[in-house]
Amino acid sequence: MTFRMDRRQFLMGTSALMVTGVAGISPAWAQAANMRLIFWGGQSRADRTYGVTDLFEAATGNKIEGEFLAWNDYWPKLATQTAGGNAPDIIQMDYRYIVEYAKRNAIAPLDEFVGGALKLDGFDEDQLEGGKVDGKLYGISLGANSVATLVNTVAFEEAGVEPPTNDWTLDDIMTKGEAFSKANIRNGMKMMSDGSYTEPMLDNWLRQKGLALYTAEGKLGFGADEMTEWFNLWKTFRDAGVIVAPDAQALDTGPLETTMLVSGKSALMPSNSNQLVGFQALVPDKLDMVGYPRLAAGVGGGHYRKPSMFFSVAGSSAAKEKAAEFLSFFISDPESAKILGVERGIPCLPETRDIVAPTLDEANQIALNFVANLGDLLGPLPPPPPAAAGEIDLSLLRVIGQEVAFGARTPEDAGPYFVAEATAILERAS
Amino acid sequence: MTLQHVATSAPAEAEKPSVWRRIWQQDAPGYLFLLPWFIGFFGLTLGPMISSLYLSFTHFDLLTAPRWAGVDNYVRMFTNDPKFAASMRVTMFFVVFSVPLKLAFALGVALLLNRGMKGLTLYRSLFYLPSLLGASVAIAILWRQIFAADGLVNKFLSLFGIIGPSWISNPNYSLWTLIVLSIWQFGSPMIIFLAGLRQIPQDMYEAASLDGASKWRQFWKITLPLLTPVVFFNAIIQTIEAFKSFTPAFIISGGTGNPINSTLFYTLYLYQEAFGFFRMGYASALAWVLLALVAIFTAFSFLTSKYWVHYDD
Amino acid sequence: MTDAPMKLTVVGAETPIWRKRLMSVVSHGLLIAASILMLYPLLWMLAASFRPENEIFTSASIIPSSWSLDAYFRGWHGLRTSFSVFFTNSFIVSTFSVIGNVFACSLAAFAFARLEFRGRRIWFALMLMTLMLPYQVTLIPQYVLFRQLGWVDTFLPLIVPKFLASDAFFIFLMVQFFRGIPRELDEAAMMDGAGPWRIYWKIMLPLSTPVLATAAIFTFIWTWDDFFGPLIYLNRMSDYTVMLGLRTFTDSTGMSDYGGLFAMSVLSIVPIFLFFLIFQRLLIEGIATTGMKR
Repeated sequence: MTFRMDRRQFLMGTSALMVTGVAGISPAWAQAANMRLIFWGGQSRADRTYGVTDLFEAATGNKIEGEFLAWNDYWPKLATQTAGGNAPDIIQMDYRYIVEYAKRNAIAPLDEFVGGALKLDGFDEDQLEGGKVDGKLYGISLGANSVATLVNTVAFEEAGVEPPTNDWTLDDIMTKGEAFSKANIRNGMKMMSDGSYTEPMLDNWLRQKGLALYTAEGKLGFGADEMTEWFNLWKTFRDAGVIVAPDAQALDTGPLETTMLVSGKSALMPSNSNQLVGFQALVPDKLDMVGYPRLAAGVGGGHYRKPSMFFSVAGSSAAKEKAAEFLSFFISDPESAKILGVERGIPCLPETRDIVAPTLDEANQIALNFVANLGDLLGPLPPPPPAAAGEIDLSLLRVIGQEVAFGARTPEDAGPYFVAEATAILERAS
Repeated sequence: MTLQHVATSAPAEAEKPSVWRRIWQQDAPGYLFLLPWFIGFFGLTLGPMISSLYLSFTHFDLLTAPRWAGVDNYVRMFTNDPKFAASMRVTMFFVVFSVPLKLAFALGVALLLNRGMKGLTLYRSLFYLPSLLGASVAIAILWRQIFAADGLVNKFLSLFGIIGPSWISNPNYSLWTLIVLSIWQFGSPMIIFLAGLRQIPQDMYEAASLDGASKWRQFWKITLPLLTPVVFFNAIIQTIEAFKSFTPAFIISGGTGNPINSTLFYTLYLYQEAFGFFRMGYASALAWVLLALVAIFTAFSFLTSKYWVHYDD
Repeated sequence: MTDAPMKLTVVGAETPIWRKRLMSVVSHGLLIAASILMLYPLLWMLAASFRPENEIFTSASIIPSSWSLDAYFRGWHGLRTSFSVFFTNSFIVSTFSVIGNVFACSLAAFAFARLEFRGRRIWFALMLMTLMLPYQVTLIPQYVLFRQLGWVDTFLPLIVPKFLASDAFFIFLMVQFFRGIPRELDEAAMMDGAGPWRIYWKIMLPLSTPVLATAAIFTFIWTWDDFFGPLIYLNRMSDYTVMLGLRTFTDSTGMSDYGGLFAMSVLSIVPIFLFFLIFQRLLIEGIATTGMKR
């Protein structure tokens, strides 16, 4: 018996190719776009953003194809596209990653366009600084925000405790917290969540001491003693039962719905000013916002107005100048300002701020007022964090913080350990 | 006696065909049937695999060209990376407990559902539902509704006066909640077991019944031996999948592997290294070490399989 | 001691009706209890899709305080592109994947299970190896490859590999089942002059309904549920699949429409559940066709 390939087999063999041909007629076929824009966020941000790209197209004829993703999906996709030589022209960038992308030329310096396609006259100086890496401008801040403590005002009312103001101190966590716990409302709600491994909180505390998380050279800006003191501070709160217990706190894995504020386990939570709106949508009680606690009465300087996010231009973009033109349009066009509101933070151009202010709803108004009136809480802008900052936060601060919280490590041990490990990570990265 | 021997032996003796002719007769059918797979393997799969093997010997930060690093990545892994060891421990623990439990559960339910009861379709569908949800965000939310301090499990335990911990966020128990999740999604091996049970000819049971064999004896003498190819398949696949398990830990811990790295699965760590910390070279090395480990396990399983897996051929 | 088990088997052989009934009640009781456990997540999701947004994470009760279909309308048009587009895309991708997988994998499985050729073991081992490498590290080389082929931004990276049997899981699965089909059948066919193709087409495939149905079910559901492939390869929202659309609902850093998310999650399960219900009948059909003499 011999084996022959008959016609039918042959057809079957090629059918795979034929089917792919058919699939080609599907919606996903053509590859054409004038400029591409990628950002993270939800639909409401997308609606606003697309509103502006439509305006831009009407005004200049340049079409911009937008794409948005959830935060967790955004970074692997952007990295894959960049590595694959297919990065979008305009990239929304985070403070955390801008150094990483800038140092590798994945995003382009914009200095050559400033004054030309990119008009930045009157742009807030600190926000401009925030987008610089090694002295070159890599990102245009889309809005300023600040760290803030979110306050569940209704819970405080129920507990009969006066809610904190911008003048509150670390001691208040203890004194108010004890009163709050004593009231025993809502099945043992605590006054405050555990902030011992919340990086911005540690940063704020160090800045009030005149130190910093990282130096301008990208080294650790504090020592083992401070770290031990920090962990001990929170251990005192924990032992006194004024903050959320460690196993409850560990339920917070990042997304808003997992936080202590939304799950009703605490009435105060460290967060960011631009997130009030998102939290308010998930919590039936009215929320308010105050600064992070002061070291002691009268001590300030821990806060700073941080660029909430940037637009950057891809290093591989063939239309860098046009992209810069869009960035300029995005931050300054009056109609665009009305569409964007303060969804990405407080606008950095004074004219834009003036247009936006009267249009805001209550939650946004609170955020705007808070950031505009930080007063003596406000300190200088810190240098951009080193590239390994994200790794230190995720794989050291959170892990060691939890070890201390669960009692697997003492603060005295954790301080030197943290500093040694963080130094090693920083050295390996450089 | 295999197919090709029958097919080729007769003419071979008669006309002494050339080498090429023999190759055509003996090997060609196999390769022709494998043709689509060959195109895919050489065209789409092999290239990226070799690339990742190459990258494992480089420092590659995703954004700039890879730099040759020799065996640096492998050396670091085995000498200077406590997280490698930690994530390996977590994954091993997960494999050792989740795979046997999941398989036992799937087989048990498949046997129960194979008895021709009323409402069979309904139950089978209901049991498959958790697997339909896949890695939906809803699972993460749901799991905390069940395993948090004030979750369903503790509400149940409190009926007996027991105050349970927050299982999902306590480093001593959090991995167990992921093992339970894996067992809960037992639908796929169950379906495969069911398909296997369906393939066992009914007349064998009828004959055994006539001989007076008890159900228990029928299970051991007929069902289990004839099911061994499927048991073998499920065991291999579930083990490989468990070693590579990523999504459950990712959605439940928000990608962190916390509390205290207690759910830092190997691939989750690999993912953090690759996309979180921009060390794709190191992540590739991690991946190839995992491949070697799983390959050794699989090869060992195949070697032992001839003693307990019964094929009809 | 020795006759105790004997007695049991005797009793078992002529089970009285009341005992059968009792067994049946117990079995059903167990199954119903287990079903509730399985159903709870879906009930919770269903409740979440009907209740007010700010109650989803704060309410302990599974019963909503008030009911509304609002989230469904909101969710369906919640993104700039409506979910009808996402459902269509998911259908296209999943359906082609099923066809490709069932066909290409059964071809390869037949070769591995029944044909004798040099290098078979090596190819089989290599095939299994493709299962063992975490996809995270082949992602970027694969992306580069598909980009060079001009396939990024199309469904091709999601569909073509299925027609090239790239999922070793299904090949291995089918090999195990093909090997369970009695050899005498193909040997008899061969005596009648049938070639490998006829044996594959006329004997193997018809006798393998259960495993082919299994492969179809899994392919459809897994392709439907997959979000990573679509996430990486699809850029335009008009090409998004349902799962990718769902991912877009939740952004952990800001505003998310959870009600819409859960409403659309509920709807997204409907097609795969229906597919499962329809194809699982084929699992049962196997009983008649394979109940042959050996």
